[in-house]
Amino acid sequence: MSEHRRQILQMLSEGKINANEAERLISAFEEPVAARSSDPGATSAGKSRPKYLRVQVDSEDDGVREGPTKVNVRVPMQLLRAGVKLASLLPAQALRSANHAMQQQGIPIDLTQIKPENLEELIEQLSELTVDVDQKDANTKVKVRVFCE
Amino acid sequence: MIPFVAVVSLCNQESRTFRLWIPLFLIWLLLLPLGILLSPFIFIACLLCRVNPLGGVAVMWQILNAITDTKLEVEHRSAGMSFHIL
Repeated sequence: MSEHRRQILQMLSEGKINANEAERLISAFEEPVAARSSDPGATSAGKSRPKYLRVQVDSEDDGVREGPTKVNVRVPMQLLRAGVKLASLLPAQALRSANHAMQQQGIPIDLTQIKPENLEELIEQLSELTVDVDQKDANTKVKVRVFCE
Repeated sequence: MIPFVAVVSLCNQESRTFRLWIPLFLIWLLLLPLGILLSPFIFIACLLCRVNPLGGVAVMWQILNAITDTKLEVEHRSAGMSFHIL
């Protein structure tokens, strides 16, 4: 019996959750496992694999100087996959130099840790990613949205 | 599939849209003989940099395929621009 199932049954026996909730929790834990075991390439039930990474920027200022600006970028996920494969081809010395340059710019990403075999998991996690940034000051209002679709 | 056309749209304040279709397939056709001519040099450069040449070519092909459907739009009060690779 898995640890999750044991915990759910314990919560049920303690009366913290009812039978319906326990069933929902158990099925929620089992569905991704079943989907992975039946087809390694398939995503969890009911979720489609993201195809694009979208970045939307809406900027409004007081209207006196420049007016509103909208930026909409759509990048295919395939490009991300190909980019990671490209990074895996680069020699270790080049990756170390790139890591060093990024760290100098305040980006603490280790490119040597990004491997094609971990990519599918990363993309699956990206499907649930949404980054919303709202910035407001006296003259401008900027809204940035990054998400996958 | 590799991109065959790129569309650049420009619109101005009077809502006039200028759309330019760039036939990328002609560029690929022109680059193909150049790539074949340069392939020995690319192969040697890959070996010097300790990069697998076949892997490099495969990844470049994947990148070329992956850029299809990339879209960039910028709208401003006075003008707008969009770039779409088809």
